[in-house]
Amino acid sequence: MALADFTKQLDDLAAQAVQAFASAATAEAVEASRVEFLGAKQGRLKAAQKGMGAIDKSDRPAAGKRFNEVKEQVESAFKVASERLAASPVAAKKKEGPQFDPTVPGTPLRIGHLHPITQTMEELKDIMGRLGFSVADGPEVEDEWHNFEALNIPREHPARDPLDNFYLSTASTATGGKTALLRSQTSTVQIRVMEKTPPPVRIICLGRVYRPDTADATHYPMFHQMEGLLIDTQVTMADLKSVLRLFAASYLGRDVHIRFRPSFFPFTEPSVEADFHWDGQWIEFGGAGMVDPQVLNAVGYDPEKYIGFAFGLGVERLCMRRHGITDIREFYKNDVRFLHQF
Amino acid sequence: MLVSWKWLQDYVSLKMSHDEFVERLSRAGLNHEDSRTVGDDLQIDLEVTSNRPDCLGHIGVAREVSVLWQTGLRVPSPQPAESGPPVTELTKVAIECPQRCFRYTARVLQGVRIAPSPPWMVDRLATIGIPAINNVVDVTNYVMMECGQPLHAFDFAKLAGPEIIVREAQSGELFEAINHKTYPLEPGMCVIADAERAVALGGVMGGARTEVSDDTTDVLIEAADFAPLSIRTTARKLILHSPSSYRFERGVDPLGVDWASRRCCELILQLGGGRLAQGVISAGQEIPVREPIVLRLSQLPRVLGIEIPADEVQRILAALGCQGASHDAASVTVVPPSWRRDLTREIDLVEEVARVYGYDRIPEDVGVPMAPSHRSDEDRVLGKVRQVLLCAGFDEAMTASVVSEESAAALSPWTAAAALQTSTPMLKGADRLRRSLIPSLLEARRVNESLGNPVIELFETARVYLPAAGGLPSEQWTLGVVSGGDYYRLKGVVEAVLAALRPGTRLEAVDTRQPLLDSVKSSEFCVQGQCLGYAGELSADGLQQAGLRSPATVAEIRMPVLVELADLIPRYAEQSPYPAIERDLNLIVDESVRWASLADTVRRAVGECLESVRYQEIYRDPKKDGAGKKRLLFSITLRSRQRTLTNEEADQIRQQVVDACHQSHGAVLLGA
Repeated sequence: MALADFTKQLDDLAAQAVQAFASAATAEAVEASRVEFLGAKQGRLKAAQKGMGAIDKSDRPAAGKRFNEVKEQVESAFKVASERLAASPVAAKKKEGPQFDPTVPGTPLRIGHLHPITQTMEELKDIMGRLGFSVADGPEVEDEWHNFEALNIPREHPARDPLDNFYLSTASTATGGKTALLRSQTSTVQIRVMEKTPPPVRIICLGRVYRPDTADATHYPMFHQMEGLLIDTQVTMADLKSVLRLFAASYLGRDVHIRFRPSFFPFTEPSVEADFHWDGQWIEFGGAGMVDPQVLNAVGYDPEKYIGFAFGLGVERLCMRRHGITDIREFYKNDVRFLHQF
Repeated sequence: MLVSWKWLQDYVSLKMSHDEFVERLSRAGLNHEDSRTVGDDLQIDLEVTSNRPDCLGHIGVAREVSVLWQTGLRVPSPQPAESGPPVTELTKVAIECPQRCFRYTARVLQGVRIAPSPPWMVDRLATIGIPAINNVVDVTNYVMMECGQPLHAFDFAKLAGPEIIVREAQSGELFEAINHKTYPLEPGMCVIADAERAVALGGVMGGARTEVSDDTTDVLIEAADFAPLSIRTTARKLILHSPSSYRFERGVDPLGVDWASRRCCELILQLGGGRLAQGVISAGQEIPVREPIVLRLSQLPRVLGIEIPADEVQRILAALGCQGASHDAASVTVVPPSWRRDLTREIDLVEEVARVYGYDRIPEDVGVPMAPSHRSDEDRVLGKVRQVLLCAGFDEAMTASVVSEESAAALSPWTAAAALQTSTPMLKGADRLRRSLIPSLLEARRVNESLGNPVIELFETARVYLPAAGGLPSEQWTLGVVSGGDYYRLKGVVEAVLAALRPGTRLEAVDTRQPLLDSVKSSEFCVQGQCLGYAGELSADGLQQAGLRSPATVAEIRMPVLVELADLIPRYAEQSPYPAIERDLNLIVDESVRWASLADTVRRAVGECLESVRYQEIYRDPKKDGAGKKRLLFSITLRSRQRTLTNEEADQIRQQVVDACHQSHGAVLLGA
């Protein structure tokens, strides 16, 4: 065969193959064309290849080169056609039955939410735990000694006023004749710990406290406090400031500065209000101070040997500021849409 | 305490700016609340803590300024001319209740001309929000705001006697105060009376009858010291408070009483003329002498963590009014001033020195020693319980500890003793310490229903207050759960809680009857013979009582039992390497046969190689099985520790189970 004829034969084959693959509308049509042109036994390319034997020896290199070019061209046309059909919605439409839709929502999993006050307290316990303060617990219904006397609040002190505390009515109280009340601060737990264990003491106590107050956006007669206590042989106000700084920095996630302003609490002397510096302003943290020697005496610690600090903060207030909650009553309404925000 | 910027400068120079002024005072103990312009003056609102009544007057605040800025303090020294007759010829004073009135002084002015006060006084009073009345009344207010000592002026002509008797009120005694309200008095309240009747409520408010009016010419000036507790009780009982009662509640300076009386008379003579009777009538206790206090200088670094130079310590204490400072190398001894009754101990002096020296000097970066901390078992168990409840799709609620009588009575599974009661209600109508969490949780559910929330699954872990004879109540940590699901949902939750704390422990269900609950679809739960709690679907009555529209189920568990049972550090147990074989069983039994007893029979019948019995379902087909019958479908998983069980062995065991169930419960295998 003359080279020109062979080449023409290949050109025709290429043109037909390209046309066939380009116009193939289904996977089956592509396959049929593949078999026709690229089939290993009966394909036309194979047949053409066999025809190379009839070409003059001197023309073979040129023929072989042209053959390879055409083969690549046909194979490429086949590949393109295959890919086209795989991506084509036409191919998909051809499938029968229900179709998988990945955009349908996943199988719902209802996981409950911890109350935001619990979440706050768990975080506070965490932070203080890392600073070496263990949690102590105590009763909410207290006697006057633990809630007042031991905390250096004598009988005549305004803090004991019946209108400012939830005393239990004596008629219903079977408390051995002693007056009982709902605790107004968690420091009662500190007293209980100190009267039972010798120093050093390094604790926090958290829980519900009660103070008569009309419920409004920023007040509720029941709320939560956290109080810390550290008593040892050598403790100073510098230690107090440093612990508060470590606490605030841990809570806020970056370094903060602490400021003390003089204040007055019966159970600490000196007493301070502690503020931390945040976002360009000073924000109230809570009360703090060195434990009053009268309190140490009340629990049987010698104030000449032992000394320490205490601090306290309101959990609701902290939680409200962090999350932008504007009404304290939300905490106790328990609307699940509220609970699910935290 | 409202302070006038201009007035303050009578006593101390104010060279600093307003901002510097309030900032420094706040850092030293007088917190700045607010400032506003009044006329051409500035009103500054300072917070005065209850231990510093000496700052409830301009002179006290000025003293603080003088200490902080180290400037001189100018205190007037009133020495009014006494041109009248001896006061003892004019009147007399008797104190019949010395425990309520420590001291009472009286001076008399005659021929005073009542007139409006001069503008300078009116303006100053206006700056701090006190309206001007007439020169005499205004002077009493002015001097009170100057030094913190309350005063009262009586129209002397209207006093029967004329004499003053300081006594307890009589039961039913009526008194018309200057606010023209009439108050019923009782014993325990201290009144100032003349020969006939009460003319003032001592330390709280004067009487309308004897108040100074335009016709008054003779005036009796009262300067007294009343017992703080008595004043407070009286004021609260009558709901009658005044700047006077406020100061007496906090305590006044015993040595300041006479100063105030003289100052008052001096100003009245200045503004209204007249003659001051000679001398003063003074009744009451002797003024106690202040004891010296020793401040060991070593206490300053011990408490504060910083050193303060000894001369600075002495300067501060002297500037504050402490007298007779003596010192040696190691300590300073001073007598505190009469107006500082809060200074009685060494530690009080430490605080004074520290706050003036400046808390900002205390460092915030000292190394705090590390120490271990440990999480208690109770806390761990509580954490796990909460975790399980969250996984089960429950949200944590927090409800009030004190509830209404109705709520407290609704359900009380843990005690028969009546709920403890508070004297004051906590919230509207709520004055009982709850004995169960369930009524509160049902109320929370009701609120959510009314808000239209479709899914309301709530739990709470809190205390219930169980009265204990002869002591404080027992406070039991309790888990309460309320759900829209059925009994089996909550039982599943309780079983999951148990499994999280002590895997493999079986929960026994025992019949119970509880108010609010359906009598059939409820039970008490026991674990290892101990009562753990209960669960139940609400009966129709219960739903109505709780105000609920959709069905609800409740469960309540006591935590101490869980804490006792909890295995917080599980120990590894070797697993059998041999495979398990399962067999299904479908037994037809009478309706009365309970799963638990059948399961016990199965366990006994199989013995050691029973890995588990798994309940699947109950199915009823009355057509095929007849009435009064049910089918229990369950499977048993068998596994040996020693070898692989064969199918034949499994079949044999299955047959043993069928036989035992037939023998003990009349069970018949389906298809048999």
